[in-house]
Amino acid sequence: MITRRDIMVGAGALGVAGVLGKLAVPANAQGKKSLVLASMGPVTGNWDPTSHTTLGQGNFEKFVFNALTRAPMRDGEADLLEPALAESWKLIDTNTFEFKLRDGVKFHDGKEFSAEDVKATLEYSCDPARPAASFCPGKVDVEIVDRLTVRLHTEKHGYPASAWWFISSVIPILSAKDVADPKILQKRPNGTNAFKYVETNGDKNILHAYDDFFGGRPKIDEVVYAYVPDANTRVLGLLNGQYHIAERLEPEQYASLAGNPKVTTRKGLTTENKYLHFRCNKAPFDDPRIRLAACHSIDRKQILELMGEAALESSCYVSPMKFGFTDIKGYPDYNPEEAQRLLAEAGFPNGAGLPQLEYITSIGFYPKTKEYGELIAAMLQEQGFNVQLTVLEPAAWEVAIYRRADGQGQGHMCDVGWMTPSPEPDLVLRPNWHSSAALISGINDPEIDAVLDKERNAPNPEQRLKILTEETFPTMAKKVPSFSLFSALTFHGAAKNLEGAVYLPYGPIDLSKADLV
Amino acid sequence: MLFAIDFFVRRLAQGVIIVAGIALLIFTLLRVVPGDPVRLMLGPMVSQSVAEQTAKEFGLRDPIIVQFGRYMTQIVRGDFGRSFVRSAQGGSTGGSRGESTFDASNRAPVIDLIGATLPYSLLLAGLAFLISLSIAVPLGIWAGLNAGRAPDRFALYLSSVLVSLPNVWLGLVFIYLLSARTGWLPAIGYENWTYAILPALVLAVELIPIIVRSLSVSVSSNLLEPYVYVGQIRGLTRRRMISAHVLRNSGIPLLNVLGIQAVGLILGSLFVVEYLFNYPGIGLLMINAVFQRDFPIIQAIAIFACAGLVGVNILVDFASTTIDRRLQY
Repeated sequence: MITRRDIMVGAGALGVAGVLGKLAVPANAQGKKSLVLASMGPVTGNWDPTSHTTLGQGNFEKFVFNALTRAPMRDGEADLLEPALAESWKLIDTNTFEFKLRDGVKFHDGKEFSAEDVKATLEYSCDPARPAASFCPGKVDVEIVDRLTVRLHTEKHGYPASAWWFISSVIPILSAKDVADPKILQKRPNGTNAFKYVETNGDKNILHAYDDFFGGRPKIDEVVYAYVPDANTRVLGLLNGQYHIAERLEPEQYASLAGNPKVTTRKGLTTENKYLHFRCNKAPFDDPRIRLAACHSIDRKQILELMGEAALESSCYVSPMKFGFTDIKGYPDYNPEEAQRLLAEAGFPNGAGLPQLEYITSIGFYPKTKEYGELIAAMLQEQGFNVQLTVLEPAAWEVAIYRRADGQGQGHMCDVGWMTPSPEPDLVLRPNWHSSAALISGINDPEIDAVLDKERNAPNPEQRLKILTEETFPTMAKKVPSFSLFSALTFHGAAKNLEGAVYLPYGPIDLSKADLV
Repeated sequence: MLFAIDFFVRRLAQGVIIVAGIALLIFTLLRVVPGDPVRLMLGPMVSQSVAEQTAKEFGLRDPIIVQFGRYMTQIVRGDFGRSFVRSAQGGSTGGSRGESTFDASNRAPVIDLIGATLPYSLLLAGLAFLISLSIAVPLGIWAGLNAGRAPDRFALYLSSVLVSLPNVWLGLVFIYLLSARTGWLPAIGYENWTYAILPALVLAVELIPIIVRSLSVSVSSNLLEPYVYVGQIRGLTRRRMISAHVLRNSGIPLLNVLGIQAVGLILGSLFVVEYLFNYPGIGLLMINAVFQRDFPIIQAIAIFACAGLVGVNILVDFASTTIDRRLQY
């Protein structure tokens, strides 16, 4: 809070500055190791993790909350699960999943962690009335076998227990005491992870190292999680030493920082793919031949050249960081002749007779969307599609892309990225292409539904992988409800003296083993 | 006295109508332009039915005129509502919903958020005015007293350069050169008053040309007025004429510039500059509210800004008539 004294003193600021010459940035109080993270996403002050599905909030929650398992999603090990609050897990049968829990874990409020917390959390989080229930495969009944053993039962809810395999790394485990009183749950986050919440100060959230963290007390004493929406400000704050980590740099900023002696830079593959979604419940894209013709009109190599280091070539509906990723055989390639053949077959030779198509994209959120949007529009124009590109600021775009309550959405095509906090492919596949959701595309195709249901209902991960790669993805590539353009990379900048930070490919940064040296 | 009462009653009545009109315009535009706060609050994975239910709980599906009526009733009671997305603790808050978790008491009253951020903006604006006046007033007077000569040309060229510098670019350059490269000044966020210096400099650079041009033109034109010659014929020295009469009369256009143009400029530029410097004032609050479609905050700040401009306008007009009685008629 500014005092009158501050204002009086501030009035003489320039004179004083002239005398002092140099006004240093305040040092950390009492020599404690304090790290400031400049985040691009706002953090919610409603601390109930089931109240939202926003990325920024999810990233913050990872400092405070633990899940049953941990998915590090390292390159080439996308399907690896490590113990977190659960020490071991196994499928008992098709509809029963057992987790053995870690002993001696305490919540930040001092309560001992046990099976009752898992039961309360999962049954609450997966209630369809909760906004974050979309992360769950469905409702679940949790049986407490003993203080440190739980069994998840899914039979009553019509899906196999194996659907919890990866989702076990997603759902933040809450204290049963908090779940019983949602008002408490909202007021402060109370988890079991390495950092505990202390206070909110405007757009800053302060976290302190948790002495009783089961993985050992972090070396960093304090994390200041600051919401800094402007990418330039994040970079400049990094350069002047005010920030230790700057999230989500622009590709150009990453390149310009690469040789800077004050900072280190890092790029990494994410769980995000960028898609060109077709409105499949609206002419002309209700005809799969037109969709396929549009895909064959697009030369993805040109897009990749434009994107530079921010994109990785991939021909799949999920990122290489996801379980089941494969380069799909028969994924539509650039083939103008085939595009023309399909257009003619659908009754629109050279695009004649097609209506004007609106292609919605954003500016200011993802890198270079406007630029490659113009490129795609030009390629489609070349084959006879009459495309008008609509570029919207993020908030307007966020609304425009989703279908309204009447099932229809604005325009005919949308540029959308989809980043989810788990190797679980269904977090991408079902919301986007199963007819029960199809949030953007509006696709309602029994064949696609069937292959999506089949892979989800597989009794174990091995069979599921087989179905995904041999049936689900090839069917989707044939029907192209959307066209996956590339897999996205993300860029971070960090202070030179920061060591041991782990950047997860869906946004969060693990600082439990990090240090400022 | 009678004139003052009549003046204020008439102008305040006009002001209330203007502010109410602006409030309706902003209120309607927010709900007509694309951008659904509910979708931004709940995130991409939420089902359409849950999003729709939440929107209904916020009252966002009622007819606009019903929503506006409800809002104005609140305002009359002095209640500017609660933020959609900021918690009572002060941070941005995601959507919360359901009987038990859609807890309005956990969301920050807009008036508290404005109260918490306004002092930072006042410090910044005050510092910007102080810097700009301390540079622009002597320069403007010097230029005005030397119309057509080197000082006047210098002031003109300097003003031309300063007015053509985009504040975003200038802010970035200042942060880079004076903070990141040299470490002379802190630049981002707010820890103490020194964090206001750089953003205030950016604002001052925008204000200086306006004040300089206004003052130099005003001083030079006053010097050509007959009363200056008459005063000197009656025995007053030129120095006395300038200090006692010319500068006083030249102050009226400056007052108008400061009161209307400068306050308007500060209000507009504050948003950009505070966003750029991540300075926790009312401008940053507003920009973030726009990104998040936090309607109650946007509406309240727009109303206060409009009321502030109208108020300043009234005071400037009144001050002008006090200085120069001819303006009363």
